[in-house]
Amino acid sequence: MQTFIAQVINGLSLGSIYVLLATGFNLLLLVAMIIHFAYPQVVVFSMYIAWVVLRYTGNSILLAVLAAIVSSVLLNLISAPLFQKIMKNREEVDINTTMVLSLGIGMIITDILSHGFNKGLPIAFPAKLVGETPILRVGVISLMGGQVASLAVGIVAVSGIFLLLYKTRPGRAFRAIAEDPNGARLVGIPLLRTGLESYALSGVLGGLIAVLLAMLLGYSSPGLGEQVAHKVLAVSIIAGLGNLAGGLVVGLALGILEALVQGYISGSWSNAIAFVVMLLVMLFKPRGLFGIKL
Amino acid sequence: MAQNEVLLRVENLSVAYGQINALKEVNLEVRRGEIVVLIGANGAGKTTLLETTLGINAPKSGEITFKERTISGIPADRNVRFGLCLVPEGRGVFVSMSVLDNLLLGAHHNMKNVGRNLKRVYQWFPRLEERKNQIARTLSGGERQMLAIARSLMSAPELIMVDEPSLGLAPIIVNDIFEILVYLNKEGYTILLSEQNAYKSLKCAHRGYVLETGKVTLSGTAAELLNDPGVREAYIGA
Repeated sequence: MQTFIAQVINGLSLGSIYVLLATGFNLLLLVAMIIHFAYPQVVVFSMYIAWVVLRYTGNSILLAVLAAIVSSVLLNLISAPLFQKIMKNREEVDINTTMVLSLGIGMIITDILSHGFNKGLPIAFPAKLVGETPILRVGVISLMGGQVASLAVGIVAVSGIFLLLYKTRPGRAFRAIAEDPNGARLVGIPLLRTGLESYALSGVLGGLIAVLLAMLLGYSSPGLGEQVAHKVLAVSIIAGLGNLAGGLVVGLALGILEALVQGYISGSWSNAIAFVVMLLVMLFKPRGLFGIKL
Repeated sequence: MAQNEVLLRVENLSVAYGQINALKEVNLEVRRGEIVVLIGANGAGKTTLLETTLGINAPKSGEITFKERTISGIPADRNVRFGLCLVPEGRGVFVSMSVLDNLLLGAHHNMKNVGRNLKRVYQWFPRLEERKNQIARTLSGGERQMLAIARSLMSAPELIMVDEPSLGLAPIIVNDIFEILVYLNKEGYTILLSEQNAYKSLKCAHRGYVLETGKVTLSGTAAELLNDPGVREAYIGA
């Protein structure tokens, strides 16, 4: 029973990170109309920035969080003109070109990380962020303070982003563009500026995710972005591309499923399971469990 | 009516989509307090004229002035802030959003007065208040058209452009919609309306323009157009 509880907590914190990643990814898809496949690489880059800041500021968590957010926002805003430039028609998502550009950005980030930081070896985050001693230890599973904290912050962040989307003026504009870009323009919503706002917002989200991932995993590596990118794509496709509420459900479910597999079978199966689920969903529900919203 | 200031003036406006000339040297004016109707068949250029005025398309040549300021070439969101608005053809409401969210989108550039404007709009359209938390998809065609008009009022416009409000609505509902437009006009709103339904729209308008393949072929007071044999034959079927 303790294993179960520990793994559900673990799964929820991992799941809330998937939810946030899928939300940032979907925001860019819906509002900026790009497939940002390398969004998780941006997040992992920000983990590295946070790591550097932690090292040089004597583990100041506040500064690390700020640095992660700034780096992720900047990376998103720098890539925005590139994406916009190659999009001829702003009323439709241009999957091919934006995906190629995004893959390129992802590879550049991965290369910079493996050549520029810690000789390409994985980096470890300090105990101050991850937690000193396990809160709970059951057999091989131990629950660190960072994992529980990342769950708490994750829940707050997920609620925050959904409140923003459904209860605020910019959130309404985002959803209007997502539903009908042309209609949004006719009611006077500036497409380009609102698109840029979505790059910035998904950047802020990316910075938060970077810190949460660091708290949950305790380490990072150049290849982490790619692994996470596959997972985010799986979550978004299983839920239905662009489906924010679907991403919420599927992200949490996948997190819990993975953690349970890790707890009862073996951690190395968790990736395969996500993709088997994705294949099954695509066979039987090609538009995803909750439907594509583009 | 003739003494009133000119609110919108379109001069020698030409708009092209690639090689196709959608509007050719169109001249038109709307005075404050008027209902002006643009009559024309499908593809005559009515929607292009309204959308270009709003700032969606860039004109090839010509000039549009609104409240004595040149607005051609200025993006739509700034023109909306300046007092223009468009109720799109096909009742372009956001069907997956609630009625209230749709109304608030209309107030995107006018959040200061949102409470007062909501109250006023609910007073005029009590059915929208009853359904404010419903998703717009669940509304009937007529209700959606009302929502689209109500949404445009949330931006506190001085000129409301309404693109084919009768499209796809039952005749009895069309009467309601035109009644609403006349009522709003009496409340002080200036209206530029595009319609294929020439008879009903001329009945409620002050003046009209006939648009044929991108050109204004006829203009005059509503009564003159209603009695014009050409208009009667082509658009009224009498």
